[in-house]
Amino acid sequence: MDDCSLIQTDLLGYHFATVGDDERAAVEAHLLGCTACLRTYLALKARIDRDERDGQREQPSEAARLRLRGAVEVRFRPTPARRLSRWLRRPVPLYQGLAAAAVVAVAAAFAPALARALHPEPVAHAAERVDTARPETKSLTIY
Amino acid sequence: MDSDEALYARVKHGDIRAFDELYARYATRLFGFLRPQLPGRPDAEDVFHEAMMATLESDEVAFDRGSFRTWLYRIARNLVLNRLRSRGRGEHALLKLGAADDEPAPPADDRVAHGQLLRALDGAVARLPSPLSDVYHLRSSGLSYEEMATVLGIPLGTLKSRMNQMVNVLREELKPWTTAR
Repeated sequence: MDDCSLIQTDLLGYHFATVGDDERAAVEAHLLGCTACLRTYLALKARIDRDERDGQREQPSEAARLRLRGAVEVRFRPTPARRLSRWLRRPVPLYQGLAAAAVVAVAAAFAPALARALHPEPVAHAAERVDTARPETKSLTIY
Repeated sequence: MDSDEALYARVKHGDIRAFDELYARYATRLFGFLRPQLPGRPDAEDVFHEAMMATLESDEVAFDRGSFRTWLYRIARNLVLNRLRSRGRGEHALLKLGAADDEPAPPADDRVAHGQLLRALDGAVARLPSPLSDVYHLRSSGLSYEEMATVLGIPLGTLKSRMNQMVNVLREELKPWTTAR
């Protein structure tokens, strides 16, 4: 397969890796020995891979880059609220989660006893009994 | 060198230098993907901006290698389609645009001149129908077959078949420039 024309029709397939192993090997062997085809291939490859177009690499203008950079800076600038939100949403490893859950469960189980120990209820004194059935006798002054 | 995903995480923590690095990685590739699909440079710059912002704001990027790039191109492609649809310029308009750029027949004495061959390639790419154009541009942006299949939401087998089809179409279109040596 030394014919340049045949090789050149296969350059695209070679570049996009749609040719079989035999064709691939044939193209490579030919490119190694044929400067003209190699130049053609490199030109095609540069254009397809967008390494350059009309001699320069195309990318957004400097103004567009600065506009995007500014937007990113504003959107992701760290603020206390964002830091807190990130901290709350941070991924927690499983073992840490389980440990935290165990601590919460133990605390919940012992909380009533602990509360009682810390704040004992005052001893209830026997209240004076007041008989409300009879009207309170007031001392009468008998003249 | 940090992975794209590590840089993405740093940007989300407010590290603007990480953004600069991500931008440097994708400025040429992503813009080169967008530019031929949109009618004007300002359109391509707008979509580039929107795609980068949407990807950075998204929480969908996982931390396995390649996920940032896949997500970025998926969003960019959707934005291109939306923009073309909203302007009433679909595939037909693109095909028309491509047809308008028809290359003149190559001169017999210099059929493989690189300049002409490359212009012929540009014209042929512009005339590719949408599904084949998608695979051409994604592959040109350096995406692997797996990443392209994810971006396009199609099985790997379908993608490979489209790649073959795309290469065959381009090969036929470029034949006049490559066979007569």
